[in-house]
Amino acid sequence: MNAIETRGLTKKYGPKTAADNLFFSIPEGEFFSLLGVNGAGKTTTVRMLTGLSAPTSGDALVGGHSVVHERDAVRRIIGISPQDTAVAANLTVRENLTLIGTVCGLDRMRLEERIGEMISLFGMAECAESRAKTLSGGWQRKLSIAMALLSEPQVLFLDEPTLGLDVLARRDLWRVIEGLRGKITMVLTTHYMEEAEALSDRVAVMIAGKIAALGSPEELRQATGAKDLENAFIAIAEAAQKGGDLHA
Amino acid sequence: MRKMLAFARRNLYEILRDPISYVFCLAFPLVMLGLMTLINKSIPPEANMTLFRIDRLAGGIAVFGQSFLMLFTVLAVSKDRAGSFLVRLYATPMAASDFTAGYLLPVLLLSAAQTLLLSAAALLVSLVSGPTLSVGGLFLMTVTLIPSGALFAGLGLLFGTLFSEKAAPALSSIIISLSAILGGIWFDPDSAGGVLLKICKALPFRYAVQSARAALVLDLGWEAWGFPLTVVIGSAVLVTLAASLVFRTRMRADLN
Repeated sequence: MNAIETRGLTKKYGPKTAADNLFFSIPEGEFFSLLGVNGAGKTTTVRMLTGLSAPTSGDALVGGHSVVHERDAVRRIIGISPQDTAVAANLTVRENLTLIGTVCGLDRMRLEERIGEMISLFGMAECAESRAKTLSGGWQRKLSIAMALLSEPQVLFLDEPTLGLDVLARRDLWRVIEGLRGKITMVLTTHYMEEAEALSDRVAVMIAGKIAALGSPEELRQATGAKDLENAFIAIAEAAQKGGDLHA
Repeated sequence: MRKMLAFARRNLYEILRDPISYVFCLAFPLVMLGLMTLINKSIPPEANMTLFRIDRLAGGIAVFGQSFLMLFTVLAVSKDRAGSFLVRLYATPMAASDFTAGYLLPVLLLSAAQTLLLSAAALLVSLVSGPTLSVGGLFLMTVTLIPSGALFAGLGLLFGTLFSEKAAPALSSIIISLSAILGGIWFDPDSAGGVLLKICKALPFRYAVQSARAALVLDLGWEAWGFPLTVVIGSAVLVTLAASLVFRTRMRADLN
């Protein structure tokens, strides 16, 4: 069964088409990455799939719920870790988790259980009572993902989760994300090709609001004859600019 | 309700854990209370100037303190809107009313606590400088200033929603200065007369100060207390409704 299915999903801002007639589906449990340069339409697509932005036309089903007609139902089954570190700076790690669990509607007993699980999963026991603003960038991102996971979402959206992190913090976060593989459907947007290559089951390359290529990293490498995903991406982007279309 | 209270608690902590809020919302009004009392001491009785006497000063200082809570509401709302934190919360089942009430409620609580603390300080000052204030009057002043607290909280939500993280605090600093001047805290608008008095009468700040002063001395007549309090309540309701509507509209626009 598909966790996400888009049906001609389109978003226009005035004359600019940020996402253009997108058709793709993501099976349950898959780790799916949206790759693209700045302005390619990745964040716009995620915003539509999370109910944060209404499509201009088309629709998408997330967990079987329409993002156009059942936004509230969609919000109940997703978790999102936005592009910037979206944590309450003056709250402690535990208070941030309590806040997000409460607004997501978890009852007190379940909330306590889940907070304990998240603190354990992300290794945050030592900083659980520290204010978020005192944490390093990497730990703040971990907290952000823990907050997204707290309500046991069916689909987790990670929008540029490692942007601005140093290489060690990035690798540390990769390990955390890898640990979630198979347990939950994940949609990642990233600039980092090696990140997408290391983590994803499948990758969609977005160019100017369109999906220019879709397949596993291996399939994209083979289709373009590139030695790695970065070179495959460049080949796909150049082909798209020349008007070609490459679906693995 | 649980969602709103959780968000309100977060906003309360954000203000309480910011040391600057104590400087502006408590220390500064207290310094002004002491300073103006000293100035009052040096004014000769024949000048017949009672504006800075503690029974008139305390109400003005309490309103002055409340105006700084507007600044911190503006900072909280505009910062949230500029960052991703609100985006995260938009993606949860929270309704617009949870957000607006969650911003307003902690400011109302802080406003009441602030007025109580300033009242306690005013009582101490009055014991030294005279005339001695009554505890009943101070309590009534605290209650009377609840609508005024709602007015400043509503203004904070309104400006924080309408303007950017950079513009909104600057604008609220102007409102703080204007509310102090046009509210008659530092001068008597009635003695100025003319256009200035008309402007003062057209804005709710003077009425907030008037009702607080009247409550403090237990002058509970319609003209001294009832009418100005009614104006403040009406203004607070209008501003809060406008702020809630603007926030709801902006939220819908953000989600489109």
